[in-house]
Amino acid sequence: MDTSNPAAFVNAELLRMYVGRRVRAVIQVLRNDGGSIFGKSTDEQELVVKGHPPNPPTTFVEVIGIADSNRSIQAEIWTNFGDNFDVSSYNTICQLANGDFKHLFI
Amino acid sequence: MAKTVSPHAVSAILANPCPDSSSELPEIIVQVLDLKATGNKYMFMASDGKRKVRALLQSALASEVTSGNIQNLGLIRVLDYTLNDIPTKNEKFLIVSKCDAVSPALEAEYKAEVKVEGSGIDLKPNQAMDVDVKTESAGIVLKPNQEVMAKSAAQIVNDQHGNMAPAARMSMTRRVHPLASLNPYQGNWTIKVRVTGKGNMRTYRNARGEGCVFNVELTDEDGTQIQATMFNDAAKKFFDKFQMGKVYFISKGTLKLTNKQFKTVENDYEMTLNENSEVEEDNNEATFLPETKFSFTPIDELGPYVNGRELVDVIGVVQSVSPTMSIRRKSNNETIPKRDIVIADETKKTVVVSLWNDLAMSFGQELLDMADKSPVVAMKSLKVGEFQGVSLSALSKSIMVVDPDMPEAKKLRFWYDSEGKDTSLAAIGPSPSNRNGARSMYSDRVSLSHITSNPSLGEDKPAYFSIKAYISAIKPDQAMLYRACKTCSKKVTEAVGSGYWCEGCQKNEDGCSLRYIMAVKVSDASGEAFISVFNDQADKMIGCMADKLNEIKLHGGEASYQKKLKEATWVPHLFRVSVTTNEYNNEKRQRITARAVAPIDYATESKYLVEDMTKIKLSKNLLS
Repeated sequence: MDTSNPAAFVNAELLRMYVGRRVRAVIQVLRNDGGSIFGKSTDEQELVVKGHPPNPPTTFVEVIGIADSNRSIQAEIWTNFGDNFDVSSYNTICQLANGDFKHLFI
Repeated sequence: MAKTVSPHAVSAILANPCPDSSSELPEIIVQVLDLKATGNKYMFMASDGKRKVRALLQSALASEVTSGNIQNLGLIRVLDYTLNDIPTKNEKFLIVSKCDAVSPALEAEYKAEVKVEGSGIDLKPNQAMDVDVKTESAGIVLKPNQEVMAKSAAQIVNDQHGNMAPAARMSMTRRVHPLASLNPYQGNWTIKVRVTGKGNMRTYRNARGEGCVFNVELTDEDGTQIQATMFNDAAKKFFDKFQMGKVYFISKGTLKLTNKQFKTVENDYEMTLNENSEVEEDNNEATFLPETKFSFTPIDELGPYVNGRELVDVIGVVQSVSPTMSIRRKSNNETIPKRDIVIADETKKTVVVSLWNDLAMSFGQELLDMADKSPVVAMKSLKVGEFQGVSLSALSKSIMVVDPDMPEAKKLRFWYDSEGKDTSLAAIGPSPSNRNGARSMYSDRVSLSHITSNPSLGEDKPAYFSIKAYISAIKPDQAMLYRACKTCSKKVTEAVGSGYWCEGCQKNEDGCSLRYIMAVKVSDASGEAFISVFNDQADKMIGCMADKLNEIKLHGGEASYQKKLKEATWVPHLFRVSVTTNEYNNEKRQRITARAVAPIDYATESKYLVEDMTKIKLSKNLLS
């Protein structure tokens, strides 16, 4: 297992801390353009995810890639997470993984 | 000329080691004991009936002995003396330089009767500077207001005190022991303690009949606490004797290990006093009622304490007082008065506090009368229950203070008068989960080790918990099915002839259904346990009905039967279990039964975990 470049759990607010670095996020799909997806992050902000989204995407998609600005991600890996997803729990994970428990993740 | 030993004589000597001849000496008459010659001098023990000191007659006085004036067991008046320290031993040495013979040998060694009431000072005869003795007096002087009556040893054995040993031996048992040193294996102790808590007299009924019991909380000078319980005759004897805040000397109690479930004070042991125990009030100690210290929990933070052992203190504004209700106690059919009061605090939450017995009657009535003034009431040592989510209940040790003079009360009053009385206050409810099924799975969530480590859970009535656990093993070769009546699901027996007989329905049935009754091993992060599972739950866990499983076992072959069981293994579930303890051959056996089983809802489970983590973090922050 390649642990050399871990992806940090982010929501929109945390994304800006990792610009240029590898991140992962769960996005609720709002608009699908084929080449990119406009989605809502787990803290209710709009993000743009570029790449090759799955066809068809489910309501929630997890993306792993490089953050190229504080509002967009260049995604390499896309995973359909289905239509039922507890957004608040994921948001809490993002906060804990970057806060008190950062040493467990990065 | 007085012909008796001077009381406090030895103490007077000890207090004045080097009298100069110009000062007035009190009359010092001592009895000469153990008189023996050493070289050309005589050594003896000078006794005043209570204390003894090693003594030497100066050589000039030796002739008094040889002539027979000074005799062993006789009395002498000490006119001039010096008191020295023996450097190697912690002892004093009296050198008598001038004395008069007062009386020839007495019949026996004179022993003063020591009035037991309040004289708990160490009477170790030889050690004047006894550092261990914990007494109020600065030195070794006996307290001046204690009368030592000159009675012979025989008169000391007094009906009032039963078989109390005469003074010389009493000096051993009268030594005050620290509470921390008491243990069940050493019976010869006396403790000096203050009553810091007194419970009500309770009556009970058990197989042996009726009885009454009460207990007190005792604290000694070191701060060690112990609970003492008295039953029946002893209870009646000592109930009025023990007063809050007063100090007593207690001896002849018995000690045993506490039942951790009911522990109220920090002590591995608890004491029982019976009719032979001795309780003497120490009149020299002032009654001291320590100011009640409160440590308030805001109403909205009561959740974690629900059904726990820890008692809480609360302070709130009285919203309402119910009329007195009568509750019938199931165990002995006694009716108990009860009152419910509702209090509110700045967290904008309200909670119900149940008052019982005297508290319900007198205090409750008091509150009712002033309810319209919305008084602030502070309550200490309440039990937290889960009635309607969160509820509080008073105990016999609970303390209630109305409109207390403390800053929290003032703050509360201010809040209430300015905004509280107008805002809408919500009753504190159970855990945040909304779904009915999920709620019961999240209340009383414990780890498996919590259940297995406590063998007395569920002793009187079953205790209920929720657990999240993985099925770790289902033994394939256990009897997991039983033939059941199609109507009432009770076990049926094969009837004579054909068919089955149901005891419950009292009739014969042609067919029967198969139902599960199996023992399943479950594990969680803390440990593992065996749980009994009945039909409906087992159904959900195995994934097929009992008769179907039976089919597979009979016709599908052992392998597919075991496979079916294996597939159920390592699946996590939420269980609602009941825990009971039964005695089998004098051994306590814990029995855990699944009452309900539900699949894990990951979203709710995550929320629960986050809550748990926050609680841990909060309590860590509070501690640090």
